[in-house]
Amino acid sequence: MSPVITRPATAMPNSGRDSFIWWEWIARRPDEIWQRTVEHTQMTVVAVGIGFAISTALALVAVRWRWTYGPITWVGNLLYTIPSLALFVVLIPITGLGFVTAQIALVSYTILILVRTMVTGLDSVPEAVREAADGLGYTRIRRIRVVDIPLALPAIIAGVRIASVTVIGLVTITALIGNGGYGAFINDGLNRRFATPIVLGASLSVLLAIGVDLILVLIERLATPWRRAADRRFQAHTT
Amino acid sequence: MLALSVDPDSAAIALFEVTKRFGDSPQPAVTSLTLAIPTSEIVALVGPSGCGKTTTLRMINRLIEPTEGTISVLGRDQTALPVHELRRRIGYVIQQIGLFPHQTIRRNIGAVPELLGWDSARIDERCNELVDLVSLDPELLDRYPSELSGGQQQRVGVARALAADPPILLMDEPYSAVDPIVRERLQDELLRLQERLHKTIVIVTHDIDEAIRLADRVAIFNIGGIVEQYDTPARILREPASEFVATFLGRERGLRQLALLRVGDLATIDGPATAPSTSIDDALQLAAAHRVSWVAVTDRDRLLGWVSLHEARALWPDGIAADATIDQLTLRDFIATVSPGTPVREALDVIVTSSTQMAAVIDGDTFCGMITISQIAGGLD
Repeated sequence: MSPVITRPATAMPNSGRDSFIWWEWIARRPDEIWQRTVEHTQMTVVAVGIGFAISTALALVAVRWRWTYGPITWVGNLLYTIPSLALFVVLIPITGLGFVTAQIALVSYTILILVRTMVTGLDSVPEAVREAADGLGYTRIRRIRVVDIPLALPAIIAGVRIASVTVIGLVTITALIGNGGYGAFINDGLNRRFATPIVLGASLSVLLAIGVDLILVLIERLATPWRRAADRRFQAHTT
Repeated sequence: MLALSVDPDSAAIALFEVTKRFGDSPQPAVTSLTLAIPTSEIVALVGPSGCGKTTTLRMINRLIEPTEGTISVLGRDQTALPVHELRRRIGYVIQQIGLFPHQTIRRNIGAVPELLGWDSARIDERCNELVDLVSLDPELLDRYPSELSGGQQQRVGVARALAADPPILLMDEPYSAVDPIVRERLQDELLRLQERLHKTIVIVTHDIDEAIRLADRVAIFNIGGIVEQYDTPARILREPASEFVATFLGRERGLRQLALLRVGDLATIDGPATAPSTSIDDALQLAAAHRVSWVAVTDRDRLLGWVSLHEARALWPDGIAADATIDQLTLRDFIATVSPGTPVREALDVIVTSSTQMAAVIDGDTFCGMITISQIAGGLD
């Protein structure tokens, strides 16, 4: 890119290539921003989705066979503590630069969070509710599907929220191994010592995290109407 | 061994030499228990905590598996069916109720029909029948359990247990979590329900009064799941089979027997009751004969009220006129009244708390006579 020597006369005095944010640079790139948004969202959704599937299986195993819970969380902890850059270094010779390597790292960070919150949620189902379901003739699988999981939903969604926000932040790092997303802006800015893309990438990442979190809160509200009924009753009693 | 034997072949539930051991505990929770629960009766399992009554109940629907022995349900070994199918034929109510907090009352009640694959129109129809049966407002059907009071939740628990019309109902301390007033009402409702439904009901309770009130037969459990006595409440109260049973029944055994008697079972006396045209002189003699200072005023078989003879002395301080009659005195409402259906224990309470020392027995509008403490004592023999 050839350096631009003169500042456009129409530009705002504090908005140019030498200022902290050069708005015009951003305004010229709607397509790139959209593309990075799609990439970032895809990386997040795939990682949380795979992490969710694996964690669900692990949580059900941990609830069914209690002794496995210790080892499962131990491994989850271990994965969680490995710095992402170190993990890339280990994985690149095996899975190469790119999507798979990034996903392995991202997914492994979600597992500890998701398994923990899922098991906590399933454990919080009142014993009397479980006993009633068993006594009425629910099969084990049906009870877990119709009673245990719906009641664990608030805790499960809380876990998904934490995992999603964590992953959205981590996806910016995976740009280092060529995965696009908002991290690509940050890399670009770092390489060129140019603040605007760094600020742009970081801000968009934060906005995406907030947006996804709000959507999950909404989903939780829609999926658990019974909790609002409890709140209504509580208010009726306290006012 | 048992004072009253029930033919195991006609029984809805029959336990045969059932033993349950938990873990390595040397003392079994239930020891070689043989017990037959007759069809369409209410049987109460009563005993102190740790006596194995709840374990026994939970073995019937296989929430707990017996270590030894067999249990037959509706004439078949309980293991003949897959466990979830067995349970769908046995209603189950627990103390903490255990409603599904995330489902509306309608879905809670319709839980077993849904498991059985009924279509939603039929489930809806059944829900409406059931709320009526357990005296719930149909408006509650679309609420969540957290919006209901304890008593309402209890009724929903019973409706849910009865939803698929199971022939057997198991109830584990169903009323111990509600306050005494609600408890009494729910117990009455259960008895009324049973008059219509004729289910085989097994109810676990630690409350001997509840057992006496509800059950056709009572099994008194001792520690280790040993049945000390299995008989009708009246027989158990009259002839406790062991020291343990007598102790468990407590010092109020006589009073508890009164709960089983109705006023209609007692002889009544005429009492100081007389017509409005009676002269004050005759009324005074009648009252004196009963050692009271009042007379009840009756018109043929109707009780009009009562008058105080102190009032007569106040009205005529210089001597009562010969032609004075009791209808010249203030007629007051007779408050201490009972009906032939009133349990004698309640009648006793009416008598001791009234100033008249007698209660009038009124059947509909008809005055049947009076009862006093001596009539009640006579009824106990």
